Amino acid sequence: MLLGYSLTPFGHDPDAWTKARDRRRLGFDALLDQVAAAEAAGFDFVLLADRLGVRPVDDLSSVAVPFEPTLLASALATRADRIGIVAAASTAQHEPYNLARRFASLDLVSKGRAGWLVVPDDGDAGRGNEYVDVVTALWDSFEDDAFIYDKAAGRFFDPSKMHVAHHQGAYLAVRGPLNVNRSPQGRPVLAHLLEEGDDALAARTGELLLLQADTVEGLVAIAARMIRSVEAAGRRRSDVRLVANIVPVVAESEQALGEDGRILPIAGIQMDGTPEMIADRLQELATATDLEGFTILPPSLEMGQRFLGDVVPELGRRGLIGSRRQETLRDRLGLAQPVHPAASGKEVSA
Amino acid sequence: MSERHMKLGAFLMAGGHHIAAWRHPDAHAPAGSDIDHFIAVARIAERGKFDMIFIEDAAAIRERNPDLASQAARSTAFEPLSLLAAIAVNTSHVGLVATASTSYTEPYGLARSFAALDQLSGGRAGWNLVTSASELEAENFASSGLRPHSQRYERAEEFADAALALWDGVEDGTYFPAGGETFADHSKLHPVHWHGKHFAVDGILESQRSPQGRPIMVQAGASDVGKDLAARTADVVFAASQTKAEAQAYYADVKLRLGKYGRGQDDLKVMPGISPIVGATEEEAKAKYRALQEFIPDAVGVALLASYLSVQDLSAYPLDGPLPEMPQTNLIQSRQQLIVDLGKREGLSIRELARHFAGARGHWQVVGTPSQVADAMEERFLDGAADGFNVMAPLFPSGLEDFVTLVVPELQRRGVFRKEYEGRTLRRNLGVASPSKG
Repeated sequence: MLLGYSLTPFGHDPDAWTKARDRRRLGFDALLDQVAAAEAAGFDFVLLADRLGVRPVDDLSSVAVPFEPTLLASALATRADRIGIVAAASTAQHEPYNLARRFASLDLVSKGRAGWLVVPDDGDAGRGNEYVDVVTALWDSFEDDAFIYDKAAGRFFDPSKMHVAHHQGAYLAVRGPLNVNRSPQGRPVLAHLLEEGDDALAARTGELLLLQADTVEGLVAIAARMIRSVEAAGRRRSDVRLVANIVPVVAESEQALGEDGRILPIAGIQMDGTPEMIADRLQELATATDLEGFTILPPSLEMGQRFLGDVVPELGRRGLIGSRRQETLRDRLGLAQPVHPAASGKEVSA
Repeated sequence: MSERHMKLGAFLMAGGHHIAAWRHPDAHAPAGSDIDHFIAVARIAERGKFDMIFIEDAAAIRERNPDLASQAARSTAFEPLSLLAAIAVNTSHVGLVATASTSYTEPYGLARSFAALDQLSGGRAGWNLVTSASELEAENFASSGLRPHSQRYERAEEFADAALALWDGVEDGTYFPAGGETFADHSKLHPVHWHGKHFAVDGILESQRSPQGRPIMVQAGASDVGKDLAARTADVVFAASQTKAEAQAYYADVKLRLGKYGRGQDDLKVMPGISPIVGATEEEAKAKYRALQEFIPDAVGVALLASYLSVQDLSAYPLDGPLPEMPQTNLIQSRQQLIVDLGKREGLSIRELARHFAGARGHWQVVGTPSQVADAMEERFLDGAADGFNVMAPLFPSGLEDFVTLVVPELQRRGVFRKEYEGRTLRRNLGVASPSKG
């Protein structure tokens, strides 16, 4: 079972800050503590969702991490050295060349543990499609074995293994090549958040599909729809990982169950129960819905700790979490290393 | 503080500033893509009490010809902000200055990124504002298009003002107001509503206010508009000057402009580049220099020289002859003039100029013992040519290690450089004025 941890300073419940009134929670060290705990518990990735590309106009949110996510990701990557790091970035807010560089750099800093949560333009699906293709082409500027560092010949890389995108499309014109080395995992992992609406881009390009629904029925529907869309796009079910948003409310005992009973205003399936009950439900849901795993949205820091401390060991006892030794995010997710288009005989230039 | 101390920047670049550094037997060839290498080098700078480390940038591979590009270690690099964010949480005192262009980014995203770097580092971030002149960069942002020199600076002026407004959008103590029942004190938020000629920005940055008020502003512009922008907005200006007289003229010029904007003489630090090659003896230093020069392929050196001159190609001219007459360009005018002047003054051939620039890329080069290097620096520091220096080690880590072990103690002994950091923020260590509380 794959596990992701969605990072916030106080928890995903908008009222969570009232129980942890401490400005230090907004700082890097406290955020790193959360990520390190998730890593130690065996989580596969941390998600830096960043208000999904919405910029604040005149308010500050206690649910948003107060750091630009790709840079926070880079800092975290040097201090947490196993967990994957998936950061959101909007195609409306970065030039494609700049975004391709950011994530290629993050992938080098993290030694192959980076993922990009694609937040496409609201308005125009065409631009989002073209944008992801440009970024992918830039990431393919060098083949896997391009960098030879031949000191005697004075040859840093093999020029025949560099590819210039020369992209000229309806929306974007980008020459290339990218001025960053090839990623240790081929390319950073492409993630998409899916609720309702247009999923064509995710079906065509997504690898880590984050499913968001408030009910089991809704989740089942989205998962089935995505599997159909992926296959309709000419890809295999095994090319993607389906992971659902879960809001765990972990009770210490059956007696303590339902003490609160609130429905939290968080996008994801809320699961109230003891560690055993939650493990049961996760297991059932994964099977019924054909999911590979879950992204945990802890409503509070305390609930996050209980999930890590009580639910994860229960999942481990059931053999659902292996000891993971893989180094790259792609390997952890069990996704194949992408074959460079030049090696597969496809045309590289757009 | 009665004693005036020089400011030091460590200009980092992969395996070294020398273009052939990566071919040196001691060089770790993949250094430019190795985060552990950069963290180790940053820690050497911090051990040497450097004010800052500095990362240059171009949003392109700087050479169009793949054969030439493939011979240069500079062809690929980390994106500077990603690199410095990683270094920030692995160092404690050294300032972190990243280059970023105003031509191919927008103010909200860039101001946000520097705010993040400033928070990650506890107030050690700096932004080297550049306007990007190269065609190769423009082609990676073809929808934006290359702007003529004057418009690039007009956009840069507006960009800088919008970024400053965004950094001032959140006051100290905005989060968790004392005794308050709210998460954030809305009376301390100042949303930006910027509607200018080049940008429209409506919003605030989701970030605490910088521990140093605002990130430090750095510039290297040497044209008239560039110097005015620096005098108005920058805390530090880098410059490429060969001779002491050039450096003094530049220094006086920039400082004179400060008055126009109501700023004091100490509010802007002038830090020209220096490329030091240090040896225990003069002979050892010269041997180190020769060993590096040998690794420069002529084709690479000449192509680099052509790019500094903003001309397509010099291969039609004899390698051992002088530079041809240059057409005026609207690109990097100041650098072109510097190279032409040097060639005429010292009667250098194309090959000699190419090798010379490959080593220090137009910056001032000093080859000698620790005390010779310290003498040269001290002289310019005391004679109105510099407030400090941006040190460009030919090799990393060894060149910087040499400087920190040999030259820094000499400068400290002479009382012209700090023995301990004055504080934890870059602004405090540079000793430049704090902005108002916003």
